[in-house]
Amino acid sequence: MSSSVDNRRADNGSRGNNGPDMRRVLFRETHSSRAAVSVAAAVLVLVLAAYGVLESGVHAVGQPAWLIEPQVAAQRIVDLPAGIPPLLLAAIGGVLAMLGLIFLLNGLLPGKRARHLLAGGGGEGLPAVVVDDEVIASSLARRARLAANVTPEQVMVVVSQRQVLVNVRPTSGIPVDQDRVLDAVRDELDHMLLEPSPVPRVIVAPSGVIGA
Amino acid sequence: MNSTPALLNRILLAVLGLLLLGSGLLLVLLATVPAVAPWWHSWSAGAWAGITELFSSTRFPGGPESWLWIVVALALLALMALMVAWIAQQGKGRSNLLAAEYDPGDPPGDVRIGGGVAEQALKQALEGRPDLAGATITTYSVKGLPALKVRLLPRQGVAPHLLAAEVSELLRALESVVGKEIPVLIHIGAGARTRFGRAERVR
Repeated sequence: MSSSVDNRRADNGSRGNNGPDMRRVLFRETHSSRAAVSVAAAVLVLVLAAYGVLESGVHAVGQPAWLIEPQVAAQRIVDLPAGIPPLLLAAIGGVLAMLGLIFLLNGLLPGKRARHLLAGGGGEGLPAVVVDDEVIASSLARRARLAANVTPEQVMVVVSQRQVLVNVRPTSGIPVDQDRVLDAVRDELDHMLLEPSPVPRVIVAPSGVIGA
Repeated sequence: MNSTPALLNRILLAVLGLLLLGSGLLLVLLATVPAVAPWWHSWSAGAWAGITELFSSTRFPGGPESWLWIVVALALLALMALMVAWIAQQGKGRSNLLAAEYDPGDPPGDVRIGGGVAEQALKQALEGRPDLAGATITTYSVKGLPALKVRLLPRQGVAPHLLAAEVSELLRALESVVGKEIPVLIHIGAGARTRFGRAERVR
């Protein structure tokens, strides 16, 4: 499977001189870009800076301050534990730290989206294909449902980066062949050629549903 | 596929996050650990004395105020401009040009094919397919070169690899019409329309 990926990458590389770097495009497509959080952070800094400009501008022309004199504010910060209830101070600090942690983790975590690359398909000059995990799951669920001969409500598929979990709830009195379902799911996955390739697992619930 | 500056976003977010996290933790420590207060007093009083010294040494000749305030205001204005520029960078990259080439024929000139050609042609070709709940085609400019993004919303249960293969055929036909190889990204996604719509039963 990996060889076909390499071939395709090589294809893209060979025509890379007249097209964009598809590997980069695919990376961006499977990872979150943090655009929304960035805009929120920028707006936060904008508002704070706007207030700073207002106060320092007002101060520069010798007018009285709008909300608080910068010197007074700084003096208050300097002798901080005094002049404010410790509970309020701790709460403000906690909120600030929480906000900072959210921004920091957004900056550092990989931010992988629930998507897989599709390596299989047609021949050379193939377009790059990215598939949402949800679509893969519904396709596998259909296949597993046909193999197990149950209704759509009795199959639940969870697709994650490296694992596919197929939960089948058999109809009461009609046993479900676990291996057959697994073979069907594996066959479908082999045709999809996902990248990274997940490992399928089938769990047949011990209790059945009645009247399905 | 757009030209959102992903790395810059992450760096700026991490820096801002560290600053906020640091000041927040300092406030919490000041409020809860008594031993931190003397340290903070000694450090901040020194820093504040230095700053006031700086401000009082830079007064306007004959005036009570320091011209450093104007510098501070200008620096903050520059920061605001940078933030606006940062926001403006997000999600850029849509374009309206599919192919542009110099044609040395008679008469010589540039030939430009707009993105609407691919969008309309593919939309037309994908319309009426029972396995699709929707499709959007957009033209992007990736590092100055045109590229297509085809977003497909298949109904529940559609095999993505078969759909991708069929759409690839359409794209190949489009490429032969346009006469140029266009890099294409197919995104097969799920949305509210596919989640609550009916499943495709027969194919």
